[in-house]
Amino acid sequence: MQPSHPTPKNSLLAWLDARYPLVSTWNVHVAQYYAPKNFNFWYFFGSLALLVLVNQFVTGIWLTMSFKPSAAEAFNSVEYIMRDVEWGWLIRYMHSTGASAFFIVIYFHMMRGLLYGSYKNPRELVWLIGMLLFVVLMAEAFMGYLLPWGQMSYWGAQVIISLFGAIPVIGPDLAIWVRGDFVISDATLNRFFALHVIALPLVLLILVFMHIVALHQVGSNNPDGVEIKKYKNEQGLPIDGITFHPYYTVKDLFGASVFMFLFAFVVFYMPEGGGYFIEAPNFEPANPLKTPDHIAPVWYFTPFYAVLRAIPDKLLGVIAMGASIGVLFAMPWLDRCKVKSIRYRGASYKVLLTMFVISFFVLGWLGTQPATPELTKLARIFTATYFLFFIILPFTSATERTKPVPERVS
Amino acid sequence: MSSENTEKTNLTRRKVLTAATGVVGATGATFLAVPFVSSWQPSEKAKAAGAPVDADISQLLPGQMLTVSWRGKPVWVVRRTPEMLDILPTLDDSLRDPHSKASEQPEYCENEVRAIKEEFLVVVGVCTHLGCAPLYRPAVSSPDMAEGWKGGFFCPCHGSSFDLAGRVFQGVPAPTNLAIPPYHYLSSTVIRVGENPEEGVA
Amino acid sequence: MKKFLSALTILMTLPLTGFAAGGYSIELEKANNSLEDKDSLKRGAILFSEYCMACHSLKYMRYNRIARDLGWEDEEVVAYMTYNQNKAVDTVMTRMLPGVDKEVLGTQVPDLSLIARLKGTDYIYSFLRGYEIDEKTGEWDNKLLHGTVMPNVLEGMQRHMSSEEYNQATRDIANFLEYVGEPAKLKRHDLGWKVLLFLLVLIVIAYLLKKEYWRDIKH
Repeated sequence: MQPSHPTPKNSLLAWLDARYPLVSTWNVHVAQYYAPKNFNFWYFFGSLALLVLVNQFVTGIWLTMSFKPSAAEAFNSVEYIMRDVEWGWLIRYMHSTGASAFFIVIYFHMMRGLLYGSYKNPRELVWLIGMLLFVVLMAEAFMGYLLPWGQMSYWGAQVIISLFGAIPVIGPDLAIWVRGDFVISDATLNRFFALHVIALPLVLLILVFMHIVALHQVGSNNPDGVEIKKYKNEQGLPIDGITFHPYYTVKDLFGASVFMFLFAFVVFYMPEGGGYFIEAPNFEPANPLKTPDHIAPVWYFTPFYAVLRAIPDKLLGVIAMGASIGVLFAMPWLDRCKVKSIRYRGASYKVLLTMFVISFFVLGWLGTQPATPELTKLARIFTATYFLFFIILPFTSATERTKPVPERVS
Repeated sequence: MSSENTEKTNLTRRKVLTAATGVVGATGATFLAVPFVSSWQPSEKAKAAGAPVDADISQLLPGQMLTVSWRGKPVWVVRRTPEMLDILPTLDDSLRDPHSKASEQPEYCENEVRAIKEEFLVVVGVCTHLGCAPLYRPAVSSPDMAEGWKGGFFCPCHGSSFDLAGRVFQGVPAPTNLAIPPYHYLSSTVIRVGENPEEGVA
Repeated sequence: MKKFLSALTILMTLPLTGFAAGGYSIELEKANNSLEDKDSLKRGAILFSEYCMACHSLKYMRYNRIARDLGWEDEEVVAYMTYNQNKAVDTVMTRMLPGVDKEVLGTQVPDLSLIARLKGTDYIYSFLRGYEIDEKTGEWDNKLLHGTVMPNVLEGMQRHMSSEEYNQATRDIANFLEYVGEPAKLKRHDLGWKVLLFLLVLIVIAYLLKKEYWRDIKH
């Protein structure tokens, strides 16, 4: 008998399994999925992202039950949720906090990839699908942010959609087409609602599924960046692998409970997130005739927004912003070093990555600030260092002085 | 031998911890479900729209009916004549629930006439069968009613009929008498529907 | 574990380190109010009805919610705040007829339901106390919002009160408006620590469970 396909003893399970690959799916992806035994802190964020996704789905579905996607009613209906719907405030805060938590988790998750070379052969496709997920998630968050129809919602969307106008020839018409009106209006809100609650979540779900299937096809990377499939025991199982269930389910359960603790702390004691998760100007209804004194996108967009503002040309700015995200797709080919984990890589990569992370944080901070001449100068410097990472990397990584990589995980 | 022992204790500990996690997790999930389930309850707005309404009965003539809307439902106030009230006890044998044992009404209306003051019937105008609005046919032998009609309410949807205390007749689909809402008299001419009388004041 | 916690705490407190609020050129006075002080909230509600409701509304706030949260009966809230002119389920609307503000003041008087979340409690407190006589024109002006059409409605109160009483009265109004900004806040704070305590138990049990299972793994 094959060990991976034990016959289910339970008769209902047997009946089901004859008609649907229930047991085998469970085994392949959970009970007999062998993951490296040396996962560390950075490996919590994949399952946490899934947890946040579920949170967003459930709370989001509940919010649609009371939200009204019209320019006349949207703002009122959010306050209706906050005040008149029983527990509406909790569900709404879970959703708004979840949006920010999603990006925190995803940024950690991506950072893990950069640290341990998770995007490298044979995991290029896992990385590409992941990047696609990131872009769709940004679109999802952007459209969701319009829905409360506050001043920041309105003017943030106004600025971002105007970016389309920078595209030569078709730009202005494209911007009008996206809005369905000459300014952000009821029509825009209504279609963003449709995309936010149906279309994009569906795309996210499919991509998450593909992300996991692609990962399980090639197996997980680990902090040492060695392939555990190289050394197998008599049964053909990786010696340094342990089954995902129960070992990583209990470990992730612990990670999830710590995460939920921090999440609950924000929800109950600082739902505005210091003015970053929910921005104060958004407590004023959208007014197409009055721009707030200072428009800043939500914090998770600010690094890219700072790149946009750093370039003194509308079209080039849009291109630079697009490139700052798009270039990440090319990581598997820009990084030519065979060694995966930062533990055994040369100084050049460590220096470059540090520069990149600092640039990302500084740009993120700059994006929240009003654009003064000094800050714009700073933004240009850090935009340059941000891109330098990707420009220098192909050259240094090919001839990097790496340390010897151990044969097995340490 | 000793290694076998540790194995055993480990397993017990493992089982206990798994069970404990299961119990704590299930408790948490239950508590988490509370906000989601109770958010389906009528909101403050719905409750505000369903707040008590006042009916002014000063202009109501004997035999007349007026309708007020309470929680989106019609509530009828009928001023019954002495003749109408006299008929009520004679109908008991042909009723399904003459003493309103299985029907919905506040305690203070659980009497023969199903009212606080026998002259005024306050009743929810929604058929207890499937929620249609019955018609008011107060006259004895109304022309469009069956023979022997003693006055009451008739539901056109499925033919249920009720007497002038909202009590359902036998042999019709409606299971119980028309519901009596909570109400009380603010004064001799104003009835507040949707609110119980204060303690001691009936 | 330690790394995990410290990294996340740093990340989550990062946005807190200043530079959040819009920044006013004048330093705001601290309201030092407390939502726990129900008496202050009650006084604030009554002061609001006496001094603010002639022009301002709280259109998202219902009287019965105020009653429930502040510890009044439904009858009391409409008696204290509207002289029995409203039902308890009504929202708090201004006594001014629609359109009068445009005619008389030339501007639309803002609804104050969310003013505390938009501007902050300290802003409200400072604004109420920010009126000064302009030496040139001899008229009242507000140092936080120059040229505001809002008259110094608290002038009479200020003249007849000791400065301590006046401080408390303005604090009560600001406190009440903070409550109105988010009526669920009291409940949120009250529930929060219970949830956190529960999650702490879950963390401990999950940690022990993880430890137990991971005994199998030899490094």
